[in-house]
Amino acid sequence: MTLYVDVNGRRYAVDVARRNGAFLVSVDGRQREVDVKEVGGVLSLLIGTKSYEISIDGSTVHVEGIPVQVGIGSPRPSWGKAGASPSTALGTSMGAGGPQQISAPMPGKIVKLLVKPGDRVEPRQGLVVVEAMKMENELRARAAGTVAEVRAVEGTTVEAGAILMILE
Amino acid sequence: MKRILIANRGEIAVRIIRACRDMGIEAVAVYSDCDRAARHVRLAGRAVHIGGNPPAESYLRIDRVIDAARRADADAVHPGYGFLAENEEFAAACRDAGLTFIGPTPEAIALMGSKTAARQAAMEAGVPVVPGTEEPLGLDVPDAAIAGLAERIGYPIMIKAVAGGGGKGMRVVSSVAELSGAVRSARSEAQASFGDPAIYLERRILNPRHVEVQLLGDHHGTVIPFVERECSIQRRHQKVIEETPSAAVGDAVRRRLTSDAAAIARSVGYTNAGTMEFLLDGSDHFYFLEMNTRLQVEHPITEMVTGVDLVQWQIRIARGERLTIDPAAAVKPRGHAIECRIYAEDADAGFMPSPGHIAALHVPSGPGIRDDSGAEAGGDVPIFYDPMISKLIAWGDDRPQAIARMRRALREYDVSGIKTTVPFFRWMLDQPDFVDGRFHTGYLDEILRSRAGEPFTPPDDERIEVAVVAAAIQHFLRPNRQNPMNPTNPLNPVKPGSAWRARARSEALRD
Repeated sequence: MTLYVDVNGRRYAVDVARRNGAFLVSVDGRQREVDVKEVGGVLSLLIGTKSYEISIDGSTVHVEGIPVQVGIGSPRPSWGKAGASPSTALGTSMGAGGPQQISAPMPGKIVKLLVKPGDRVEPRQGLVVVEAMKMENELRARAAGTVAEVRAVEGTTVEAGAILMILE
Repeated sequence: MKRILIANRGEIAVRIIRACRDMGIEAVAVYSDCDRAARHVRLAGRAVHIGGNPPAESYLRIDRVIDAARRADADAVHPGYGFLAENEEFAAACRDAGLTFIGPTPEAIALMGSKTAARQAAMEAGVPVVPGTEEPLGLDVPDAAIAGLAERIGYPIMIKAVAGGGGKGMRVVSSVAELSGAVRSARSEAQASFGDPAIYLERRILNPRHVEVQLLGDHHGTVIPFVERECSIQRRHQKVIEETPSAAVGDAVRRRLTSDAAAIARSVGYTNAGTMEFLLDGSDHFYFLEMNTRLQVEHPITEMVTGVDLVQWQIRIARGERLTIDPAAAVKPRGHAIECRIYAEDADAGFMPSPGHIAALHVPSGPGIRDDSGAEAGGDVPIFYDPMISKLIAWGDDRPQAIARMRRALREYDVSGIKTTVPFFRWMLDQPDFVDGRFHTGYLDEILRSRAGEPFTPPDDERIEVAVVAAAIQHFLRPNRQNPMNPTNPLNPVKPGSAWRARARSEALRD
């Protein structure tokens, strides 16, 4: 079965098969043999004579310590439209379109609202400042849109995951 | 001194416990609710619970810390840094309770903790300070008088609000023509922000470096200064990289800088560890800024180039011992050391804090590398405290070797579950201006502003392809994995966490 792996908005078609304890992996038609061993939470990959150390943390694959955001898509791209899809969770170009919920990444205090309902916002524009861990953090828009609803109130504290704002 | 209570947590508590162990002294940890299983609690010989998670309910509670010392039968207290370290009431409360406070006297903390009093002490010791007005300039001071003062200080000058902070009421004036307009707007901004229109003038030092001198003073009148530390790589006035010696300080400046720092300390009878901070301009002039009356975060780099254990000496000084360090060796660095402060922050998301569960942690080691850490795999970075999890220190024969070793160590440093500033440091250590030693205190903020939000360590094509291969193999082994954070996947080290942690992680992917 062909898998679709998304990185930086680009989709790779990947086929994986087992052979003699190793894996045969083809990426967009180019095949290579990969030897995999797990060692204390990290993966050692040997591809040919090249050695890579990999750790996988949620949807982040660290290759030699360099993080790569990866989404696994299904063979049917329409599946990726649902909010639960790992591909859309990556917030890359796949995330464009549709309402954006801006929620608190951690418990904190709403210090300042930077936009109001009806405002047009640009990608990466600051929306709301939340104070947590002794620091002020600006939450930003993933993509362009219009502020549909502001639920956060300045000066109040919020729980992690609380929806602060909705953009359309 | 048989048992020392450490009134702190995290990496610095661990550092002090280690010094205690080296000296055969028992360490007593204190902890808040969420720190029950923290590393410092498990490393210590004894541990006492002191309250709830917010610092104001635990690590900042003088009464509870003193009570914990009594309960554990400690005879001394080390405050570390942060929390109560520069609180003269705490130092006095320890003294009143018959506990040896491992630090300066409450009187010295009070005196040198006041910026104006410390500045006065520096001037009396004949040490240069940033030229400026001594008295606040109220509304009654006419423009002509202010122009006269500005002329004497020398342009460019800064106008600052007496009650100020955060840049409010601050103006840069480069000539007399701009002065009266800037005075007017600074005053009205100061009035609006702080309810006090009083201002003062200070010479503006262009593109200064932050250099500082660590010193130790014993109770027998000896003060020993150490080779300077360079701490100009700062983000929003917070140090992120420190090194020693400074690439901008030659032997002649070092002699003046260290002897001036010691002169201030001697003039106020300072004891134990402290640091004098200076601004250094482009023509070898330095100006006293302020004093920190405690051990500093960046103390390990001084230890690396001098071979002196500063924490052990803090304890020995508090016991009444005489300093036996060779003063000449203390100002003669052996090699070069660099420290990176590793924070639980997502640098690619504007340095957003990234608390949570540390799923996996691989810490570098090898020649010249020291990791002073409070973090470990399976542990948590709580949301209540400073997010610094570790200090990574590299030593080399010279600066290029220290940088090369730091790069190697950063490449080996691998943390899963939370984001850290490691990717940022990998980028930072490749910046040509950093490598050449050409920077000042505003340098990092300037280059960060010029970035368009691209990742600090973007993967190249080869790494992307390897990531695709690894993700596909993992998916092949667990095809039912719908959610990338599925904790049941044996190749996925992320452990089940509370809903908010999972949320924090997925939100952190947003930029």
